[in-house]
Formats: sequence, C-alpha cells, structure tokens
Amino acid sequence: METLMNAPLDHEMEKASNSYLMSLLALLVGAPLPIINLIATLIFYLGNRRSTYFVRWHCTQALLSQLSVFFLNSYGFWWTVSILFTDVSISNDYIAYMITVGLFNLFEFISTLYTAIEVRKGVHVRWWVIGHLTDLICKPKA
Amino acid sequence: MKSNSLWAIIILGGFIGLFFWLRTIDWVGMFDIDKHTRDTEEKLGDLFWEHLGDEGEQITDSLTVAAMDTMVSRICSANAIPRDHIKVHVFRADVVNAFAMPGGHLVVNSALIEDCKNPEQLCGVLAHEIAHIELHHVMKKLVREVGMSVLVNMTTGGGDGGQVGEVVGALSSKAFDRDMEREADMKAIDLLVTAHIDPHPFADFLYLTGDGESEEAFEWLSTHPSSKERMEYVLEEIGKRQFEVKPVIAAATWEELKTNMQTEDTTNYQ
Repeated sequence: METLMNAPLDHEMEKASNSYLMSLLALLVGAPLPIINLIATLIFYLGNRRSTYFVRWHCTQALLSQLSVFFLNSYGFWWTVSILFTDVSISNDYIAYMITVGLFNLFEFISTLYTAIEVRKGVHVRWWVIGHLTDLICKPKA
Repeated sequence: MKSNSLWAIIILGGFIGLFFWLRTIDWVGMFDIDKHTRDTEEKLGDLFWEHLGDEGEQITDSLTVAAMDTMVSRICSANAIPRDHIKVHVFRADVVNAFAMPGGHLVVNSALIEDCKNPEQLCGVLAHEIAHIELHHVMKKLVREVGMSVLVNMTTGGGDGGQVGEVVGALSSKAFDRDMEREADMKAIDLLVTAHIDPHPFADFLYLTGDGESEEAFEWLSTHPSSKERMEYVLEEIGKRQFEVKPVIAAATWEELKTNMQTEDTTNYQ
C-alpha cells in the first residue's frame, strides 16, 4: 500500500473506487455467469482509458483482478453445466474444486470491497502480484 | 519483482494445495449424493410408469406373470441382483420392443415374446435390458437426452404430462450409444452364462429378426447397432466362454405363454 505522489482529486477517487464497486455490483447481478463481472469491469476500464493516471491504474487493477478469477470461475461454471445437462456426475473433485474456488472468490470479494473503500479515501491500494502487472500495463502519460 | 514472484507462487500453491487437500475428503459420501441419485431415479421410474401404465394395455394373467418371473428370477438370483430391483411389465403391442426405464422397470411388448423362437431368446433380450439397468445406462441416457435439471424438476412436480410422455417416448424409441449397447450385450452374456442359460439363441435372435424384417416392426432392433455386427461380437464373446446350460422353463409353459400373447381375454386378469 502506498500513496501516489500527486494526491488524487475527489472525483478521481470516486471513479477509481467505482471501478471496484462495478465488479461487486456485477457479481450480485450476474453471480452464476462469471463473464458478467469481467465485461462490467472491462466496460468501465474502456470508458476511463483517457482519464487520469490514478483512475486508469485502478481501473486496470480491477480488470486484472477480475480476469484472474474469471478462468477459475469459468471452469467451475462449465463443470456445473456439464453436470446439469450431460451425464457427468457430481464427484469429490467437483465439490473440492467448487469449495476452493468459492473461498478464493470470497477472499477476492472482501479484498475488492476493502480496496473500493480505501481508494475512495485516496489510499493507493496495490494488490499482490496484480499490482505489479498493473504497473507494467498502465504507465503515467509523458 | 522477487517479492511478486514469491506471492504468485504462494497464491498458486495455496489454491492447488487447498484443492488437493479438499479432494481427499469423501464429499459424495458425506452428502449422501448416491442416495439422492437413487431416490431421483426411483421417483422418475414411478412417474414414467404411472404415465405408461395409463397409456397401454398390460398383460397380467397368472401364467404370463409366473413365466416372466421365473426367467427374470433365474437371471437375478444367479447374478446376485436383488429380485425386487427389476419390475417386469408385459404390454400388448404389435411392435417388437423391450426397454428399460428408471427405477428398474423393464417393459416387454407382447410382439417381442411372440417373435422369440424359444425362452432362451427372450432371456437374452431380458438380460440385455437388465444389463442396461445394472450398468446405470438408463439414467445416463436420460441425463444426456434431457438434462439433470429437467429430470429433477419432473420429480419435484415441475414437469407436465406432455413432457413426461416425450421422455418416455425417447426411452422406448431412441438407442443408447454404441458403447453402452456393446457393454450391455457383453454384460448380458455374463448374466446368461452365470444363470446357466444358453446365450447362443440371443445371437440367433439378433440375426434372424434383423434379417429381412421390417425395421418399423422391429423397433427393438432399429434402436440398436447393426444386428449382424452385434451377432458377430456376441458369438465371438460366447466362443471364449465355457458354460453348462439348463432349461429355462418347460416347453409347454413357453407355448402357453406365446399363445397368451395372442389372446385378448388374458389381459388385466389379476
């Protein structure tokens, strides 16, 4: 966790915080469909590409955080579909996978909520690993 | 950078480690999922049977019931299959057909019994259908055809009569996949040999009825892989076995059973 050199303005903090809230809102609306969260954050990211560095950086981090769980959730989603609509049966592996993914989602949900609150206060919250990837993608404009 | 790589390894390792630890727990046994599956199958069987029972004319005279029971009991007792798992129903219908339904219901049309040249041929068909039941092919086929969600919906009162009719229709007229049919044929030979019933007539039945007969009339065959191909692999499998055979039912009983299949006034006797 660190603070940017230039303290963000109030509207920047609000926009940056909203990028995380967007994924939480999408989670509540389209919970069973993992792609919904990703699309919601992607739309928000695209809409803020020309915004200030602080906003762009957090939109990118929110997008990457969604992308990381997207693959895990998608696998679980299609596994569930195959159980419901084909002759694949419920196994110990399936239940173990769903619990693991569920716990990771819960962890991600809490982290996203915490980040949204902190970013609204102007705190520059960096996630492990994802924060570094965000640095590589999102550069300050010259 | 070093710290990020370390965190990436910790997170990935945490995910994989948690998954592998959780998969050692017997969740299926803990939640009794197999029992729920069996209950669903039983409920579906009752639902389908209720529908089919209303649709057709069942032959329930004492001789038919006793003869069918003798044959099925012989197969079941020799193969440690609880007799009450298999519920045989004979319907008067001029389409040569037999099919298995969920919950161990086995439906045989009178035309199929009429078409069999001897009781061993009929035992072959019965063994094949019992094999589908024992190998859980019926539920697998249903789930593939309509999906588990629809089936569960039906058992909880969500399905209408039309939907139930469609599913029963699919069960009686659509084939299992090639692998399942082959598996059921192989299992049928096992069941017959263990019960000391000659499996050769089963191969004959496949060949004779599949040769030059109308596919429409022989629905049981039209829903299965090529009769010639089946006969060949069934004979090949029988050739590998050593077995002794004993008569299934008395010749006079068999003739009487076949006559019953033609006689109208034997229906709904009991």
